Amino acid sequence: MPLKILVTVKRVEDPESKIKVKPDGTGIVTDGVNYKMNPFDEIGVEEALRLKEKHGGEVVVASIGGDKSITEIRSALAMGADRGVLLKHEGALDPLLVSALFQKLTEQEKPDLVLLGKQSIDDDQNQTGQILAERLAWAQATFASKKESLESEAEQKKQPGLVLSADGKKMQVVREVDGGVETLEVSLPAVVTVDLRLNKPRFASLPGIMKAKKKEVKEIATASLGVELQPKVVVKKLFEPPKRAGGAKVADVPELWKKLHEEAKVV
Amino acid sequence: MAGNPLLSDRDVDFVLHDLLDVGSLCRLPHFRDHSRETFELYLRSARRLAREVLYPSYRAVDEAPARLQGGAVTVHPALREIYPQLVALGTIAAPRPAEVGGQQLPHVVAAAADLYLMAGNLSATSFLGLTAGAGHLLESFGTEELRRTYMARMYSGEWSGTMALTEPQAGSSLGDVRTRARPTPAGHHLLDGAKIFISGGDQDLTGNIVHLVLARIEGAPPGVKGISLFCVPKLRPEAGRLVPNDVKVSGLIHKIGWRGFPSVVLSLGEEGDCRGWLVGQAHQGLAHMFQMMNEARIMVGCHGVATAAVAYQESLEYARTRPQGRPLASRDATRPQVPIVAHADVRRMLLRQKAIVEGGVALVLTVAHQADLAGHAEAPEARARAQRLLDLLTPVAKSFPAEWGFESNALAVQIHGGYGYSSEYLPEAWLRDQKLNSIHEGTTGIQGLDLLGRRAVADQGAGLRTLLEEIGSAAAQARQAGVDPAWPAAVERAGAALAETTMALAKKGLSGDAEGMLLHSTDYLRAACILVVSWLWLKQAAVAQAGLARDAASRPFHEGKLCAAQYFICTELPDLERLLRLCRDGEDSYGRMREEWF
Repeated sequence: MPLKILVTVKRVEDPESKIKVKPDGTGIVTDGVNYKMNPFDEIGVEEALRLKEKHGGEVVVASIGGDKSITEIRSALAMGADRGVLLKHEGALDPLLVSALFQKLTEQEKPDLVLLGKQSIDDDQNQTGQILAERLAWAQATFASKKESLESEAEQKKQPGLVLSADGKKMQVVREVDGGVETLEVSLPAVVTVDLRLNKPRFASLPGIMKAKKKEVKEIATASLGVELQPKVVVKKLFEPPKRAGGAKVADVPELWKKLHEEAKVV
Repeated sequence: MAGNPLLSDRDVDFVLHDLLDVGSLCRLPHFRDHSRETFELYLRSARRLAREVLYPSYRAVDEAPARLQGGAVTVHPALREIYPQLVALGTIAAPRPAEVGGQQLPHVVAAAADLYLMAGNLSATSFLGLTAGAGHLLESFGTEELRRTYMARMYSGEWSGTMALTEPQAGSSLGDVRTRARPTPAGHHLLDGAKIFISGGDQDLTGNIVHLVLARIEGAPPGVKGISLFCVPKLRPEAGRLVPNDVKVSGLIHKIGWRGFPSVVLSLGEEGDCRGWLVGQAHQGLAHMFQMMNEARIMVGCHGVATAAVAYQESLEYARTRPQGRPLASRDATRPQVPIVAHADVRRMLLRQKAIVEGGVALVLTVAHQADLAGHAEAPEARARAQRLLDLLTPVAKSFPAEWGFESNALAVQIHGGYGYSSEYLPEAWLRDQKLNSIHEGTTGIQGLDLLGRRAVADQGAGLRTLLEEIGSAAAQARQAGVDPAWPAAVERAGAALAETTMALAKKGLSGDAEGMLLHSTDYLRAACILVVSWLWLKQAAVAQAGLARDAASRPFHEGKLCAAQYFICTELPDLERLLRLCRDGEDSYGRMREEWF
């Protein structure tokens, strides 16, 4: 039963770069910062490729951003995805808008499954997948994982963690919850967000990179999608968390009480 | 940073783009399918594979070397997981042409990616490096049949390749190779002899191993002019299956470094049935092999840089986090200790490592870039010019990383103090790995003879003149950028001094005194290494100085570059004068010394 899968990929700062906030708090210093595909999205791409390898179908990757986001699409194409769509956009967005834009794209592409990283590692909001499912009125399963470890034989054999039913109408998703995993079944079409322990993504190979150059990447201006592009969540200011002051020893209880009362103001 | 970053991405990107402008290679027809994006994606994959897969297994592989049991070598189990991933990345045939299954990636980008992989786990990457070189030999000189049967499977990583040159009595002196090859009516030769130090000569990673063997056809003239090159597989295809080809592993070398990469003794033709197929022309084996050896020398330069780089990153992190002592000016024992990087002498050692490592990165990538231009620049003159520089710089690219890299690796041990001398910490392992680089693929002594005896004086010193032109334009660029004018002046003076000494030594050689000319060839090589790396630091200083004026956010990076340039030019370059004086004056302590006086 071939599956058409839409996977979202976001260009994010590489957390291995040294991230510094600009002195005026309007953003981060981008010099010397490397960018990469959001690692959760990479797991989504890997899962989509494994599903395609098992069931056949098509893997479409989509990103929202400026021209540079094409690099992340190419990166997914180099891993083996079939084609890409860039929703071209400069400027700030919030999860409400991102999900609205992906809703439009999903309606155009009509996939059986939308895979998203459970969150992006730049601002860690963990909302887009859930809101997208709600907008589409599709089933959703979040934090997809699997019971087998990343050292297991199933992982070595690159088997997908998401299990398609024999009739191709449902998908079984093992998801991470507090204290363990639970198994859900969703009807397709569905939105699934993926967690870290679902798979180990493959690296883009050089032959894959060269093939990716010839794959189609369609560009769509976000303004053309009929979404009001005014974010409701606005970043006012970025700042580093306050530095922890060193501890101190106190001589007796009265001094401790005095410090808690006058300096820490907690009693 | 979670673990050791192996190399500084910022520095590698600086060399690739700011210094060498590798993006402009994509305008050449041979590289037209590439773009900065393909370069970036490939580097990303290599960096991650190196950091996430190769490096974490380094210590385990070093601690449990390959074993020889029942005539077969078993490699470390971690390598069986790594090898297919390295193959899948596509490194083996990356720079080869599309018609043989390659991707026409510029050597300079392939080398940058290799640096990360080598820094992550030298042993793991070495299987593929040798396979690439051996495959290239078959591509250049092999018959259609050999290319189809062997090269294609080597480039795909299904089979591996080795170079089997050395024999117990013929190491540096390859003219003394004794392995014999007897022609047969069937077209193949029957080989018989012993080879030693054959890296990757046996392993259990690939289905077959293809040895490129130097041997002497019966009745061949003595010396280097009677040596031929043969393709000798471990298993030979016969009637649709692979059968043993009478290649036996008679010993495994116990090495102090590169311990995951087995080096073996091979016995060929013990049962009289070791078949070899001639590669290229009879008696031209050494000339053919030199193609591989030149590539291999640049690869060894990359090994040296990578091994010094990973240790530099380790000692840098250690110096930033290890608290010890207090500033000289305030010895208040109640104050907390400072990290050791706060001490000037530790910064001296770190800056020396930085100057060697980043100078080495610039060196090997510059040489790889020249190889790209020599092969594919549009104008014939541009190709010829690049070839001249490539020929001149190859011994330098091999020797500087090996020799200075060893010093840099020793500094990494030193910075770790007592811990550095313990095998609990990794710097000692990298020091052991590094030592091989001054020995294999032509010792440092051989490189000195090659540089002074052949390359520097070839074509009336044309290579050296090209280098002097390069130094002149770097000096002009540095002056224009506002670099301290003492630096370009010093590098230009050093270039002129090397040229003058070369002429004097060439004259000595022409007058028949080859011994006198070459007495100090290793000192000459050291002087050339210092000059070339000073030139590259001057170039980097010019770019960094210009960047300083333009880009406030990159200030720390560019200031660091200028300090390292200053360090190399002001503390290392002055040694060139002393070395050249030894060459010119023919200081003869060891020239006069006799064996019985020791």
